[in-house]
Amino acid sequence: MRPVAISVDVPQISLDLSRKVGYTFPILSDPDAAVIRSYHLLHAGGGPEGHDIARPAEFLVGRNKTVRWSNFTEDIRVRARADEMLAAARQLR
Amino acid sequence: MVEAIKRWNFDVMWALLLALGALAANVAVFATPPLQSALPWVSLCLGILALIVLVRGLWRAFGESQIYRGKVLSVVLGLLTVALAGLMVFAFFLARKLPTSVDAPQVGQQVPDFTLTDSNGKAVSLDSLFAAESSEPQAAAPKAVLLIFYRGYW
Repeated sequence: MRPVAISVDVPQISLDLSRKVGYTFPILSDPDAAVIRSYHLLHAGGGPEGHDIARPAEFLVGRNKTVRWSNFTEDIRVRARADEMLAAARQLR
Repeated sequence: MVEAIKRWNFDVMWALLLALGALAANVAVFATPPLQSALPWVSLCLGILALIVLVRGLWRAFGESQIYRGKVLSVVLGLLTVALAGLMVFAFFLARKLPTSVDAPQVGQQVPDFTLTDSNGKAVSLDSLFAAESSEPQAAAPKAVLLIFYRGYW
């Protein structure tokens, strides 16, 4: 399973984040939220100074590009847990 | 004349402790423990309970002041409790102010393609994510890609 993070942050911010936390997976930039909109995940005005951002969501996507597992938190403080995501990934054949 | 000994007003103390409990539950959410999704509700309930107990404590301190002591302490602890519990209750509703996202891809549906820039300025497409890493010739192509949409780093 290959994790990939997507947000409206510009590449420099994502680079700072990945260096600070030590992430090894790609972090992709969607500054005008075009991809976020195509996935219907827009949180209009949800960011600082009213910027449009993504609402938190995770999708486990199989090779045929279909969703095998997803998680939409109802509370921004509650994140998908690593063990839940790994369990979902393990069920893929 | 002998003054009757007044009782301590424990309600105000309990109210503050409940408010601190609400804060602790809020902090604990971020540690991603099991039953993590219940913790915001625990924080909300403790916060509301703190405010209810505080109301009783203030009633006793001022309405039954011949029985209970501690008017000044009640006000001081009360202000702290209102600030803390109020913040936790407010945080609960603010954290849940999210769009419904009913049209987002469901299990079994195909996801839209994309090409975005990574943190090194390189263009990355959804297709390329399913390919084996060219830097690791022994590594197999991934069976799945986990797309993590997040709010951003700020």
